[in-house]
Amino acid sequence: MKKYLPHLPQIIIISFIVTLFFIALKIDIAASTIFNDLVVRLILNSVVVVSLIPMVNSGAGLNFGVPVGAVSGLLGMVITANAGGKGLLGFFCSIAVSMPFAIVAGAIYGRILNKVKGREEIAATFIGFSIVSIMCLFWVVAPFTHPQMVWILGQSGLRNTIGLKDFWEKSLYHFMQFRIGELIIPVGSFMFIGMILLFLFLFSRTKTGMMMNAAGENESFARINGVNIEGIRILSVIISTTLVAIGTCIYAQQYGFIELYDAPLMASFPAVSALLLGGSSGKRFFLRHALLGVVLYQSLYLLSLPVANMLLMPQMAEIIRMIVTSCIILYALAKISHVSEEA
Amino acid sequence: MFKKWYLMGVLAMVISLGTAIAGFAADYKIGIVTPSLSRSEEEFRAADALSKKYPGMTKHIILPDNFSKEQETGITQIASLAFDKDVKAIVISCGNSGILPAIQKVKDKRPDMIVITAPIWDDPDMMAKYVNLALDTDWVRRGESIPLKAKKMGAKTFIHYSFPSHIAKEVISKRKDMMKQTCENQQMQFVEVLTPDPQAGSNRQVMLQFLQEDIPRQIAKFGKDTAVFGTNCPMQDVIIAKAMELGFIMPEQCCPTPLQGFPAALGLEIKPEESTHFDMINKMIKDKVKAGNMTGRLSTWPISVSIFLPTFGFEVAKAAIEKKMEVTNIDQLKTLAKDISGVNVTFNPMKPGMTNYYLIIMDSIIY
Repeated sequence: MKKYLPHLPQIIIISFIVTLFFIALKIDIAASTIFNDLVVRLILNSVVVVSLIPMVNSGAGLNFGVPVGAVSGLLGMVITANAGGKGLLGFFCSIAVSMPFAIVAGAIYGRILNKVKGREEIAATFIGFSIVSIMCLFWVVAPFTHPQMVWILGQSGLRNTIGLKDFWEKSLYHFMQFRIGELIIPVGSFMFIGMILLFLFLFSRTKTGMMMNAAGENESFARINGVNIEGIRILSVIISTTLVAIGTCIYAQQYGFIELYDAPLMASFPAVSALLLGGSSGKRFFLRHALLGVVLYQSLYLLSLPVANMLLMPQMAEIIRMIVTSCIILYALAKISHVSEEA
Repeated sequence: MFKKWYLMGVLAMVISLGTAIAGFAADYKIGIVTPSLSRSEEEFRAADALSKKYPGMTKHIILPDNFSKEQETGITQIASLAFDKDVKAIVISCGNSGILPAIQKVKDKRPDMIVITAPIWDDPDMMAKYVNLALDTDWVRRGESIPLKAKKMGAKTFIHYSFPSHIAKEVISKRKDMMKQTCENQQMQFVEVLTPDPQAGSNRQVMLQFLQEDIPRQIAKFGKDTAVFGTNCPMQDVIIAKAMELGFIMPEQCCPTPLQGFPAALGLEIKPEESTHFDMINKMIKDKVKAGNMTGRLSTWPISVSIFLPTFGFEVAKAAIEKKMEVTNIDQLKTLAKDISGVNVTFNPMKPGMTNYYLIIMDSIIY
């Protein structure tokens, strides 16, 4: 039972968030608004954070190459939108179209990571940066024609931001959504994300899933036992990249805009911070770490800024908020690495 | 069959002759410097349109994508224009700082070269010394014009969204102070809200997500008669989309143009033949706004200032080379500006007594 309890760093962050929550109520921010906004933020971010788990557990490091999956998702979305996809069907089509791109990109990305074993994280960061730049070229020259998507003056190449209002904005969010008083419960989004989590959970119980964890925990031991380390690592990268692509589609659907060009450049960092905040006492990360992490990280953002804006001098609010939030995250990370050394 | 080929041949000859005449009619060239397409479509396309309008007369230089990191490349590119004897004028339109060394190099080699900036952001006094005519939007005075317009549109509260690394810029902070002052004078409530900083650590999405959450909170608190102003370009998509949803007032974007925020937020479908016709685009926005029962709640300048300034700078340079006008004659500038934009344009000197650095404000369109 003890392993399910949060550690000291998480307890500190939770108490900080609870304090912020009560201050927020005090300054007339309704609890229902906070709940609804938090649900939206979980829908936006949870899949991308969860996607990091297969790669970490197979020993391929934290996925700092989130942009690889993100651009696959973007590609799927713009192709579907250009073909006139609309509503919930359009949304699922965009995921289906992005799949092949994510699988191919993931396979290449995994191969590169196998070549730079031991330095995966820094290599992944640069792979992510490069793919964003390469795709910047692609977005300009791509032969898309939809009048809501191409540059207004030049009539070719894709705009920076594409509004999804006339395509599939919030289609999943509104699907099977109901209200309890002021609270909005988007059952459709929860079910879809729940299915992804269930898939990951069941996958970790299969033989391949177990081999993946074994490869991450002790590579030489796993190799002696006949695990194809390179293959299994590539598979984990493919799964991670595909999940990021799905996460990106969910993000755009919920947010209402497809953002191209340099928008995915820094996508890795909030996801990785959230996962680390969720904490883990060993080398393995579990789904519960990712979910706790994303709840904590997003609540910090959600609550600290309005509170800081109301209570402090407006000019200082964001600076103080950044200092406080970053310090708490840093402290939590220091504690986590300390705990894992002991373990 | 033979007749068809014959006709085509004649046509080709006429076209090439026409191009040649157009090309050689002017014995001079004007260099025009803009950012790349992905950094700013409007300046790039303005230069592109000028190259098409005056074939053979323009020399379009595109600055590196990341100018602040590759400044030397940019400076060399601009300075190279001075080596072309045919180039008699340079129009620089890129909104960067650090261009002045290039202008100094050009002026050292060719003191006769007419240099017009539209705009660049170097030290105004130094610019006034080297540049023949400097043009820019009147960023600070908009601190007065925007709240006044918001008041006219019925606003009782004025919300200013920005973030620390933006507020640290002198013009933005000055404009904010001026907005606050104007709001006080007009008995409007001024509310300042800071968003997560997209230029320091957190990415753009975090800022935009905060806006998505904060705007409904503020509107619930202050009511629909609230004007929302954001200082950063990516904010405008969200602000306009939220305005259409919640019914508040959007008096002007950070860079006033019908092409910012409106296309993504309203899902404008602009056909190729309409792409540079601002009358048509404005009508399209008006219709969408009317359909959303938002008439009179959204406003901007009727044409893109980022297209107007380079085009205007180019026409001034052309007229000056052809000795049809003085580059600093304010009356001639005003007339030419109205001819190009179709609305009244106000020119104010950057500082009292400065005769070659003007800041402009255009009349607005309220949809």
